Amino acid sequence: MLKSEHSHTNHTKDDTFEQLLKPVYKGKKLTDEINTAEDKWNLLPAFLKVKGLVKQHLDSFNYFVDVDLKKIIKANEMVLSDVDPEFYLKYVDIRVGQRSNSSRIDMLPPHECRLRDMTYSAPIYVDIEYTRGRLIVLHKDVEIGKMPIMLRSNKCILNGASEETMAKLNECPLDPGGYFIVNGTEKVILVQEQLSKNRIIVEADEKKSIVQASVTSSTHERKSKTYVVTKNEKIYLKHNSISEEVPIVIVLKACGVVSDLEIMQLVCGNNSSYQDIFAINFEEASKMNIYTQQQALEYIGTKVKTIRRQKLTILQEGIEAIATTVIAHLTVEALDFREKALYIAIMTRRVVMAIQNCKMVDDRDYVGNKRLELAGQLMSLLFEDLFKKFNNDFKASIDKVLKKPNRAEMYDALLSINVHSNNITSGLNRAISTGNWSLKRFKMERAGVTHVLSRLSYISALGMMTRISSQFEKSRKVSGPRALQPSQFGMLCTSDTPEGEACGLVKNLALMTHITTDDEEEPIKRLCYLLGVEDIGLIDSASLHDNYGVYLNGTIIGTARYPTKFVHQFRILRRTGKISEFISIYTNIHQNAVHIVTDGGRICRPLIIVKNGKSMVASSHLKRLLDGKLQFDDFLKLGLVEYLDVNEENDSFIALYEKDIHEGITHLEIEPFTVLGAVAGLIPYPHHNQSPRNTYQCAMGKQAIGAIAYNQFKRIDTLLYLMIYPQQPMVKTKTIELIDYDKLPAGQNATVAVMSYSGYDIEDALVLNKSSIDRGFGRCETRKKTTTILKRYPNHTQDIIGGMRVDENGEPIWQHKSLGPDGLGEVGMKVESGQIYINKSVPTNASDSVLTQSQSQYREAPIIYRAPEPSHIDQVMMSVSDNDQALIKVLLRQNRRPELGDKFSSRHGQKGVCGIIVQQEDMPFNDQGICPDIIMNPHGFPSRMTVGKMIELVSGKAGVLNGTLEYGTCFGGSKLADMSEILINNGFNYSGKDMLYSGITGECLQAYVFFGPIYYQKLKHMVLDKMHARARGPRAVLTRQPTEGRSRDGGLRLGEMERDCVIAYGASQLLLERLMLSSDAFEVDVCDKCGLMGYSGWCTSCKSAEHVIKITIPYAAKLLFQELLSMNIAPRLMLGDVFQS
Amino acid sequence: MSEEGPQVKIREATKDNVDFILSNVDLSLANSLRRIMIAEIPTLAIDSVEIETNTSVLADEFISHRLGLIPLQSKDIDQLVYCRDCYCEDHCDRCSVVLTLQAVGESESTTNVYAKDLQIVSDLGGKNIGHPIIQDKEANGILVCKLRKGQELRLKCVAKKGISKEHAKWSPAAAIEFEYDPWNKLKHTDYWFEQDATSEWPHSKNCEFEDPLNDDDVFDYSAKPNIFYINVESVGSITSDQVVIRGIKTLQDKVADILFSLKKMDQDKVAFGGPTSENAPMEVDHDPYSGTNGQYNEYNDNTNTAYDDAW
Repeated sequence: MLKSEHSHTNHTKDDTFEQLLKPVYKGKKLTDEINTAEDKWNLLPAFLKVKGLVKQHLDSFNYFVDVDLKKIIKANEMVLSDVDPEFYLKYVDIRVGQRSNSSRIDMLPPHECRLRDMTYSAPIYVDIEYTRGRLIVLHKDVEIGKMPIMLRSNKCILNGASEETMAKLNECPLDPGGYFIVNGTEKVILVQEQLSKNRIIVEADEKKSIVQASVTSSTHERKSKTYVVTKNEKIYLKHNSISEEVPIVIVLKACGVVSDLEIMQLVCGNNSSYQDIFAINFEEASKMNIYTQQQALEYIGTKVKTIRRQKLTILQEGIEAIATTVIAHLTVEALDFREKALYIAIMTRRVVMAIQNCKMVDDRDYVGNKRLELAGQLMSLLFEDLFKKFNNDFKASIDKVLKKPNRAEMYDALLSINVHSNNITSGLNRAISTGNWSLKRFKMERAGVTHVLSRLSYISALGMMTRISSQFEKSRKVSGPRALQPSQFGMLCTSDTPEGEACGLVKNLALMTHITTDDEEEPIKRLCYLLGVEDIGLIDSASLHDNYGVYLNGTIIGTARYPTKFVHQFRILRRTGKISEFISIYTNIHQNAVHIVTDGGRICRPLIIVKNGKSMVASSHLKRLLDGKLQFDDFLKLGLVEYLDVNEENDSFIALYEKDIHEGITHLEIEPFTVLGAVAGLIPYPHHNQSPRNTYQCAMGKQAIGAIAYNQFKRIDTLLYLMIYPQQPMVKTKTIELIDYDKLPAGQNATVAVMSYSGYDIEDALVLNKSSIDRGFGRCETRKKTTTILKRYPNHTQDIIGGMRVDENGEPIWQHKSLGPDGLGEVGMKVESGQIYINKSVPTNASDSVLTQSQSQYREAPIIYRAPEPSHIDQVMMSVSDNDQALIKVLLRQNRRPELGDKFSSRHGQKGVCGIIVQQEDMPFNDQGICPDIIMNPHGFPSRMTVGKMIELVSGKAGVLNGTLEYGTCFGGSKLADMSEILINNGFNYSGKDMLYSGITGECLQAYVFFGPIYYQKLKHMVLDKMHARARGPRAVLTRQPTEGRSRDGGLRLGEMERDCVIAYGASQLLLERLMLSSDAFEVDVCDKCGLMGYSGWCTSCKSAEHVIKITIPYAAKLLFQELLSMNIAPRLMLGDVFQS
Repeated sequence: MSEEGPQVKIREATKDNVDFILSNVDLSLANSLRRIMIAEIPTLAIDSVEIETNTSVLADEFISHRLGLIPLQSKDIDQLVYCRDCYCEDHCDRCSVVLTLQAVGESESTTNVYAKDLQIVSDLGGKNIGHPIIQDKEANGILVCKLRKGQELRLKCVAKKGISKEHAKWSPAAAIEFEYDPWNKLKHTDYWFEQDATSEWPHSKNCEFEDPLNDDDVFDYSAKPNIFYINVESVGSITSDQVVIRGIKTLQDKVADILFSLKKMDQDKVAFGGPTSENAPMEVDHDPYSGTNGQYNEYNDNTNTAYDDAW
């Protein structure tokens, strides 16, 4: 009836998924017996196929483009003129990307946008109907601006593209999409976490004995917050635009509930303890002699703060306040305030309940009370704001033309519509590229909404797409919002959060989550009435609290006499696909309420339905899934699996494993490891690790160098780190396979010996084998981009690229050695520090006017390479950017082998730097002649308790011996006992320890050494990028002190604390040298008589050279004296003789 | 040679492997041999690459690194001098072998570039040297790079003589199995165990070559290891037997070098130092452990014989 359009179109098989489904995993084939308990995890790849990791972004954007845009147009459809009442312009329809008559989307491919610093966007077309003179004209396909398009959304040209087309478009098929390309940079709109809108939240401050119920009403026009608070044990209504608290009885009377009895019935029902608490409130109203609705409205009218053009009467103000400002999300029709009265009464009831029982308060941090705002919602807010502004500007320019009394020809509004189209385009672009969301309507100013997509590694990009940022202030030191909420289970990753100030505020989605989009309320409401809910409009106040209330998105719509039966029937309808699967329904026994929720931004996850103590998903279903006959959506339709949001989850009994199912269980988990997110899913055996270690790894996995995408060599990014020989880990997890980390890995399987060696391994330092490095271990490539624009100046001059200069032999001079005849670096050439790779010249007379044009003179402004190590030129790109200026991008490449001080880490938060590189023959070896690649100090283990790393080693070693890839999946994976068995069968000790021989003496080592492969990641922190030293160098202009920072070849500061040490030690000469002589020593002429500074041996104030003495002081001190002089303070130097006793 | 001298018993020898038991030698000598086989036998490997065209997806340095790791035939490496010792300016046929690689992606599918595509262009003068080692069934050798249609790779490689101390690409040995005392009679190691060491620790395959430890055996604290089970695997540049033989030779050369230098040092001292006070105690004190000077003499005393034997 409501939702039945399930597309069967994507049943066509695609190869990548086929691979995923064919469980070569665990060595199982299609023909093998299927065990529900073990194989139900196959639902996960099936889920990820339909939903994907970034599906929430895509769904949200698609919803915005397809549905929300039309709603916005509908809400702002008319443009009228103040001048000509005959004139109107009406928006009929809106489309993004395609014109009405063709399905072709005309867009540049995304990769071209990246390379050419352009925006990946599609035109927004509207169909308009307007008056031209006396005619009504319908015009189709008017472009009003360009909309940045989310990659892989349904407006993107990559939507549904095969791997082949992706390759043709220079795109990586594994790239998740979900981001925008604005001016050539990839931008992500992070998921924003907020408290849910239009819901009552009850809070209590026990110290001040204040209880308050608040609701944030959010409509298209405005946002406002209404409170029902206690004050001196009486209850009041508070609102920002009402100057003081209004007694609740007066408010209810203003809403038309005049009788005190009815008020009591609405708030307290027949619960006597509630009545006792509430009764006191009647006093205040009667004291003020307010008995009728009119009196109450007038009372409120006097309290309203409004700035209006036309003055309203007090009564009108009161009506206005109740109708539109209080609880603004409820619309009042024909001045019927009944609905609002009920809402306020229920808020009051919640307050009374909380007074009576302090446990009846809500938890702000409860995930069920949160909503996630996604790219689509944010874009729609922004678009509506810009569209309104567009219409205003448009109207202004129409008025301007129509105002002219004698127009020569008929006015066509179409002519002025195009003028403003740039506003929408640039407004959208600016917001996304700066991240500043400023909305006039809500007076909202939000910074940092978008971020540059981190392309450090595939994982960092993926991790960014699942990130959730909280609106909560980072600086505040409260633990509540940062703590791990039990309701996060399965929805938000329990491990992946940053350390430091954003800890707990930035979260990540778990693997199997989905974020809902808005759904229609109206059909659900009708359905409820059909299912026996009594309409709230027909219920008399006395029996309101006799039965369970039925709430739709927080608003009461009726009562249900048999709530359990109602909920059950509702769920049946949902499971059969009659209504959207994302609508949630749950009973709240404490509040005697049944809540139905359809709004967007709820996190939910699929679970297997259990009926009569049996899992609905049987092996036959799984078999059909593996055969490709069933899809995840079919599981939903067949009522085998359903989505539960956090609130409904709390209303269910969920078994973790099939063996745990007993009487009363309603659902079964699909896979326990889905509590973790994509990034934490890389860790093998995380359930054996100390939990902070997993969190550390989540931060570090994003810094690992590896493969980034299949198109990594085609990309010209500001900075790219790539690993030369990345390997997939020996110990995988199912998550790794699901997110294709095994196809774009970041790390190598290193043979590790856990032992002490050489003493250069203290404090987590690692010992590396030189031969391993020679053979390619840890090698990486860096690619750095330089962009130059050849500017055009107003006087028709332009930057030019000069050729190369040659010496007398016709050979290029050393500086120009890597240049080609075109003045750009030649691909493949080496550039050393000091050499030029773009020989640019700028005109000297760029600011001259066109008229006084003389012969253009050019000044050389070459791009010079400065780095400790030479680079090679990898790519040179010349193109034209958006504004027709020549754009040159040069990519410089460096090949790096690991060196002392480079940072490495395993997948267990165990990082370390390379302390020494040892010759292979000096390395310890086992009787088979195997040498370790890395020696790790055993002191890393006891305090960190990363047992997972040890099990990874044993599993890895078994895998190597057995020729298999082993699994370290969370709460599962290869069993240690099985791994030991393999080791024993291959003639090794079961513990993973080996007898090693010293490479230096050949003697065997006294102790046994834990020895085997561990997956190691090379992190982006490399010595080459950080090393810095300075003897002499540049100085700051103002103070003449050495500059600061490596990039400016700065000095190393001897700070206050170091200074204190030198003072304490009494090394005064050292102090003098460090603080003055090596920094900013300056010779000044000081007059001994007046104490002021002169110059050239002359004191200007004494007009004499007699007493002038040269002394050396810091230039900064001299500067201070002069600055003091400039503000009429005369610092005088009193000189004494150094040698005077 | 009497039974006192070192003995070698070859258990197995193939092209790539030689498995032997070395006995009657000191641990330090056996390990020295192992270390030298890993690190100091000269072989030939590509050391510099001049890239003319590279339109493949891989970077120049990437391909150069891969080329360097290809084992090249180094049988007659003795007839090649080190580049640094040669009188030529950059490289010549006396000190290097030049190979070229030319490949174009012609087919619709990817074209593989293998080690077999490396062509020797320098005059070998009859030396068996510089040929890429090809051991797979299809006789392709190592895969260097893959080319798409239209991509091209044209380059010149200069292979030079070197040792693995400098870079692992010059190592002739892949892995060298090395074991002594499989029953742990010498108690050089402590078995780690939970219940019982003997059941938890697997026996080495070399155990059968020695008698197990009897319960009534008394621990001989002065015993030294003297039987070594060594298995040398070659990467192919030099056959495995040659790895061992050249290893021994390199070791001898090194020892000879030391002796030669020491001898020279002594002569220099006599020639230039004269009867100084430093030299005086050397004449008197012949205790080998008394100091450096004494040690020199100690070596000097029995050098002549050993030195001559070595040659």
